[in-house]
Amino acid sequence: MAIIEVNHLTKEYQLGHLTSLKETALNTMRRLAFQPVHERERFKALDDVNFHINEGEVVGIIGHNGAGKSTLLKHLANISKPTKGSVAVRGSIAPLIEVGAGVNPELTGRENIFLNGAILGIPKKIIQKKLDDIISFSELEQFIDTPVKRYSSGMTVKLGFSIATSLDADILIIDEVLAVGDLAFQRKCFDKMESMIVHQGKTVLLVSHNIRQIERICKRVILMDHGKILSDGNPSKVCGLFYTQSDDKIKTQSGGGNISSRKEQSGEIELISVELTNQQGNIVDKIAYNEDVTFNLKFKINNILEHPNFGFGIHTTDFLYLATEITEEKYKDQILSPGNYTLSIRIPNFPFLPGVFSIRVGVQAGKIARNIFYQENILPFQVKNTTEERTQSMSEGFIHLNGNWNLFHNLGDTQCIGE
Amino acid sequence: MLRIAKNLYTYRELIAALTWKNIVIRYKQAYLGILWAVLKPIMLMLVFTLVKGFVGIETGGLPYPLITFAALIPWVFFQESVSEGVNSVTSNANLIKKIYFPREVFPLTAMVTKLVELVISFAILAAMMIYYHVMPTLHAVWIPVFVLYTMIAALTISFFGAAMNVYYRDIAQAIPIALSLLMYGSPVIYPLSLVQKKLVIEQAAGAWSNDLYFLYTLNPLVGIIDGFQSVLIRATEPDLNVIYPGLILILVILPFSYWFFKRAESWFADVI
Repeated sequence: MAIIEVNHLTKEYQLGHLTSLKETALNTMRRLAFQPVHERERFKALDDVNFHINEGEVVGIIGHNGAGKSTLLKHLANISKPTKGSVAVRGSIAPLIEVGAGVNPELTGRENIFLNGAILGIPKKIIQKKLDDIISFSELEQFIDTPVKRYSSGMTVKLGFSIATSLDADILIIDEVLAVGDLAFQRKCFDKMESMIVHQGKTVLLVSHNIRQIERICKRVILMDHGKILSDGNPSKVCGLFYTQSDDKIKTQSGGGNISSRKEQSGEIELISVELTNQQGNIVDKIAYNEDVTFNLKFKINNILEHPNFGFGIHTTDFLYLATEITEEKYKDQILSPGNYTLSIRIPNFPFLPGVFSIRVGVQAGKIARNIFYQENILPFQVKNTTEERTQSMSEGFIHLNGNWNLFHNLGDTQCIGE
Repeated sequence: MLRIAKNLYTYRELIAALTWKNIVIRYKQAYLGILWAVLKPIMLMLVFTLVKGFVGIETGGLPYPLITFAALIPWVFFQESVSEGVNSVTSNANLIKKIYFPREVFPLTAMVTKLVELVISFAILAAMMIYYHVMPTLHAVWIPVFVLYTMIAALTISFFGAAMNVYYRDIAQAIPIALSLLMYGSPVIYPLSLVQKKLVIEQAAGAWSNDLYFLYTLNPLVGIIDGFQSVLIRATEPDLNVIYPGLILILVILPFSYWFFKRAESWFADVI
């Protein structure tokens, strides 16, 4: 029997403000005169959502901002009521919807433990019993009798998480909580959640933008988009779909104008354009996985450049630098007179796994090397899947190592049994 | 009524914790602490006593400060419970958006918080009674009944007002005005006997006198305040004729008020 049943759940919100007295009066007049009234626009935050969750399942919910994830959790936690459809939850729910909702800044840490416990419905006796555990988990022994308003934000969250996870509920609802605290504490929360999932067999619903985490702990992932369930099932498959979606979105965004990219230039050299060409020499913005590619960088040089040194790098859309190639000695002895130049770099078997990447370019010149040009996020491009099995997924990393497998039996002479 | 009492029991720990939070927070960084809670009735009593010196109000031979203070105790309790109760839902918006529990916990908590302050006021009244050599009699056992009645009256308004206030913040603005008007419609500054003398005996408003008097007693505070004064200071039975119009009115409205609150509750998180 499903512990959570959601059937045809629809939630509509009215957009805009509460109608004023004037508007109400006008609408009443219109109604009396049988004229159409001004209705406020409606917005479907959830649109005919259906799913069942069985006991002990660990389900991740992913989607872009505004996809309806948090609204869905609010319905499960009984905070909002559906416009249409039904939500049935069999069991007690521990809402972690934003940890520390009930933390009061005026009270001390210890007082807040009792207050939050009461708000979450934990009997006082049980809190008393667990008090030491909660305090030691939160790592706040020293500050536990200090008012929370004097805590740092990380400390507040640590306290909130410690209280919420001490609750013995059948269903845990977690909304974006692991994005907080320092790395060590995040790790600890993560371990605690994993142990709650594995050892206590709790049903967990997890909303996060950290897809890597979701892929790791969830056995099932639901992808939401514009209030609808787009995909539901195997984590790597659903997350893969989400990545493809995000990549498309990022590419269209950064295609228009380089928003957050770094750009420095002295004027001695200008980058006119960058082209990406595939095996056939056509200019493209999508390449196939493992294809031979060439990047053509067209420069206009304004002043004479001595000892030029060109750099070319590839980074992810969130500016994680993945690889850099530098010309170093190659053109060191050259003196480039003003004019237009094309520098090309050919990369055989482009080693990156499917995803969206971008490039950065830097130029140094002079006897004592000066940076005269640097720009990031110049040309976003996409690496596409060639085969269906190879789903795009963070858990595989970014780079294709192109390794050769060999398996030997180590007894006796080295005999190859399979390659 | 029964549902309220049952929730009061089921969520007693939560209500206790929230009440304790309310009290601690309000007085935590105040040097005088919880004494502030009782300063209001004391100041009002002093002002009224001063005014009485100019105007002259018939008190039936009893010390005026004592009579007024006995009236101010239930009045201030009622007034503060209502104004806190009406704001209780909107001021806890962060909790309402995050965690579910029956929302009537908020108006109930507001009232219980004031109950704590009421106890302190009673201690001061006791001290005053000793000072004026007025000893309580067996009739004082009525007090818990009147406190309960005051609570029910306050809740009746709180439930409706708190729910409406989520949609229309006008309510929170209107309540203080309505309450200060209601004070003059209740025997706080003057004793009820004065009204009775004017309307019932002298028929000051002509043919309308008896109807007006009935309208006056529809105000539950009339019965409550007169009851408090009777059983504590005057050492007599409470006058039930004064009490029942207001009591019946409250008992009729309360279920509707509660029903309205429960119906509106589902949309609090969306609208607040």
